[in-house]
Amino acid sequence: MRRFSGTNTGELITRYARDGGTTVLSTTGRTINRQANAAGRALILFLDAMRAVREVAGSTRQLLRQIEHSGFGSLLVLSLIAGLTGMIMAVQIGFTLSSYGVADQLGGLIAITFCRELGPIWAAVIVLARVGAAMAAELGTMTVNEEVDALRMMSIDPVRYLVMPRIVGLIVVMPVLALVANAVGILGGLAVASGQFEQTSATYFQGIQNHLTTGDVVSGLVKSCVFGAIIGTIACDRGLTTSDGAEGVGRSTTMSVVFNVIFVLIADLIMTWFIQVPLKVVTG
Amino acid sequence: MTDRPGSRTALAQVLPERTWTKDEIEAAAPLAPLPAGIQPVIAIRDLHKGFGSRKILRGIDLDVLRGETLCILGGSGSGKTTLIRHLMGMLKADVGTIQVAPAPAVAGMPSTEAGFELGAANEEQLATWRRRLGVVFQGAALLGSLTVLENVGLPLVEVDHRPANEIYERVVEALRRVYLPAQEILHLKPASLSGGMRKRVGIARAIIQRPEIILYDEPTTGLDPVTVSGVNELTLDLQKKLGITSIVITHDLEAAFTIADRIAMLYRGRIIAIGPTEEFRHSPNPAVQQLLTGSTRGPLTEAYLQGTSES
Ligand SMILES: Nc1ncnc2c1ncn2[C@@H]1O[C@H](COP(=O)(O)OP(=O)(O)OP(=O)(O)O)[C@@H](O)[C@H]1O
Ligand SMILES: [Mg+2]
Repeated sequence: MRRFSGTNTGELITRYARDGGTTVLSTTGRTINRQANAAGRALILFLDAMRAVREVAGSTRQLLRQIEHSGFGSLLVLSLIAGLTGMIMAVQIGFTLSSYGVADQLGGLIAITFCRELGPIWAAVIVLARVGAAMAAELGTMTVNEEVDALRMMSIDPVRYLVMPRIVGLIVVMPVLALVANAVGILGGLAVASGQFEQTSATYFQGIQNHLTTGDVVSGLVKSCVFGAIIGTIACDRGLTTSDGAEGVGRSTTMSVVFNVIFVLIADLIMTWFIQVPLKVVTG
Repeated sequence: MTDRPGSRTALAQVLPERTWTKDEIEAAAPLAPLPAGIQPVIAIRDLHKGFGSRKILRGIDLDVLRGETLCILGGSGSGKTTLIRHLMGMLKADVGTIQVAPAPAVAGMPSTEAGFELGAANEEQLATWRRRLGVVFQGAALLGSLTVLENVGLPLVEVDHRPANEIYERVVEALRRVYLPAQEILHLKPASLSGGMRKRVGIARAIIQRPEIILYDEPTTGLDPVTVSGVNELTLDLQKKLGITSIVITHDLEAAFTIADRIAMLYRGRIIAIGPTEEFRHSPNPAVQQLLTGSTRGPLTEAYLQGTSES
């Protein structure tokens, strides 16, 4: 083992700061640069897909298939998760509210949380993990098998034929899934409210009626539409830019999930901050 | 067989033994002078393409004549697919041009457009060019979610918007041409077909829009001998009856000598030999002769030992 004297260590640190540090920084910089490029590319893909929406009449079959694919398969597991979350929330919040003597507000709190936040987010998480990943894998496989090239050669625009129905399908399906999550979550809360806190369902729903506004529900649904657009776009973009065969397909699938989680949460924060909060302040 | 193409004795009759330098072997064969008044359908000039630091194509010069069947031979990884991806307009050349001629005038539909350079083509030009091409992809490239009927009829549905009964008839006809039992497989997905059947479905899809030029990327690899002859006959048939120009990439020498008007060999990023079938057979280039004799000793195998990348 070599022993470092004070100056040597100092030198080493300086050298690291100069060389190692820049290496770390430049790798980070490159990564950020690459991902910024990918985000820009995805945005362009989304705009192209929206331009292709004009031709949606010619793609109704693909659209219906996508809706069926992404919607029904997710319902069961989404309901399970939403119901459990509703129950957990009721247990957690219920005791606090009881100690203040306002347990009758429980329904309202749970309903607002679900409609504004949890319903759309749970729907997004389930869909990006199940449907988004499958989309990236499917389009990735099609890309490496030259199927996408074959479409181009037949003058069939892959954005119109493959991407647009997937994005539009998710934009349509996501609010429905969010609504289901909201409903099941609220019912889960009710189960705990009546079981643990001996509340009647009338009290529970009265709490909801007192607090929940149309704005809460609608803004949550708007959020879920945006999540649908993000998930579809990122999944398709990762799929269509796949290279390197089967290994590349795996990488695209993983990247699609990772980036979808990040971008869905960023979008959620932005929309909460700039749409939901001002809306609440205005409408009271 | 006594006079096997390019066998040692045949070779000895053609040329005295001499050693070729690496540069001589890899040098591009000169372009053959065109017959008077003939314009090539595709004229490739000095085409270079690299991926990263690996140079795959290093100066391709090639003319494709209207109505001919041109076979391109070359080892695995020699850049054959890369070359035809340029012709499809899927890849942009680093250097060089690909000039394409306007479509021939058809009765009642005179060709008004001019020829253009693929690398500088706009969307519209590229679309008209692709409309003139049929491509048989190396792995068939059928869409997994569609049935055979939907796959083969896809361009008729999505682009030409033909009525369903016409599509059905044309698909059955195209499948018959590639010796497939249409009624049995029409409603199957590609995953439940054998590799050879998939390939033939891919050929059926390529010919269904009656293209002017067909690019075949290894159409007969992995097919049984009878089907190979069938596909070869199909190529000849399309050429004779419909005047279709074919560019066929193949490993199959016998197929090449059966169907080709001209044969070219791609080696280390250049066309090192090209000519009418008989002329090609007697090319003195040792790389060509090694390919023809199937010997394990020669420049082709040395290239693998040395690695194929070149800076
Ligand atoms: N998009 C790409 N990115 C990087 N390298 C590529 C790409 N496409 C092809 N290559 C490389 O170019 C070389 C030639 O590939 P190409 O597919 O053209 O070969 P080929 O002659 O068709 O071979 P085969 O007979 O096996 O099909 C290969 O070494 C391949 O790794
Ligand atoms: Mg190939």
